[in-house]
Amino acid sequence: MHDIVVAFAKWCEATPWGVMTRESIWAYPVVQLTHFTGLSLWLGTNFALDLRLLGIGNRKATPAQVAQDLFVWNWIGFAIVLTGGFMLFSGIATAFIENIAFQWKLGMFVPLALLWHIFVQRKARVWGQTIDAPGIAKLAALTEILLWLSVITAAVEIPNH
Amino acid sequence: MWEALEQVGWIKTLGSTGWMYVTVSVAHYLGIFWCVGSVALVDLRVMGLAAKKRNAGELAKQLFPWAWIAFTLAIISGFLMFATDAGDWAPSRVFHVKLALIATSVVFALIVQREVPKWSQSPEIPKAAKIIALISLVLWIITILSASEIPALEGLG
Repeated sequence: MHDIVVAFAKWCEATPWGVMTRESIWAYPVVQLTHFTGLSLWLGTNFALDLRLLGIGNRKATPAQVAQDLFVWNWIGFAIVLTGGFMLFSGIATAFIENIAFQWKLGMFVPLALLWHIFVQRKARVWGQTIDAPGIAKLAALTEILLWLSVITAAVEIPNH
Repeated sequence: MWEALEQVGWIKTLGSTGWMYVTVSVAHYLGIFWCVGSVALVDLRVMGLAAKKRNAGELAKQLFPWAWIAFTLAIISGFLMFATDAGDWAPSRVFHVKLALIATSVVFALIVQREVPKWSQSPEIPKAAKIIALISLVLWIITILSASEIPALEGLG
């Protein structure tokens, strides 16, 4: 299994975008910008829904409406995150796969947070029909916030390992 | 002066204690993504590209308070990180550019926030409004770019 992952990482590093991210002084900040811009849209829309489900702040629109309104840009944001992230990864993929913080981030927290987000987003249509969401919805929303905070923490820890 | 700030007891502790510094970093990233995301969504709505069924003024009312809370988080955490290495950060040209861009982005965000109730009252959002919203969006993105440039150009952060 590890051999396959290493082979994949080596392949990524050899791609044109891998080389560019690694070697170009101007490209790396732009690639990082892509990842961060995507994260602004992705996390901004995630948190907007979660906070609405939690019932904190302005409550004019129902959570179901918020989920629907922000759906498109939520996933556009994710696509941008993925693009930037994959390019960042490709730059020094063989180092990333051995990094314990990266392993936690991509191996556990991102899959978990992503699946949980999809669950919350779909359930928001049901839970969020009324101005006040049920208790279980609030718990789910809070969990999503904590999961994304875990992802950010793991990402911040990458350079430390 | 900036070297003296670095030496202040609790700032020194913050800068040298792993988990403390990580917490401040996480707060900074959280603040940025949440703030920029919130403002970006309003800008996109004004431009007619997002949440079209939602009244722009109402969306702004929902999102702007969070934008400013998140911004405050980013400023405080940013200052703390700055303080731990103030001697290196203070003279950095690219860092000055970043601060100037933040200030400019804030000005445009405030313009959008103030004008959007008016804009959303007309049957169609005026063209000038869409241009202002676009500028606001682009400014925040360039601000993030300037932050990414600092390590590339100056080896800081």
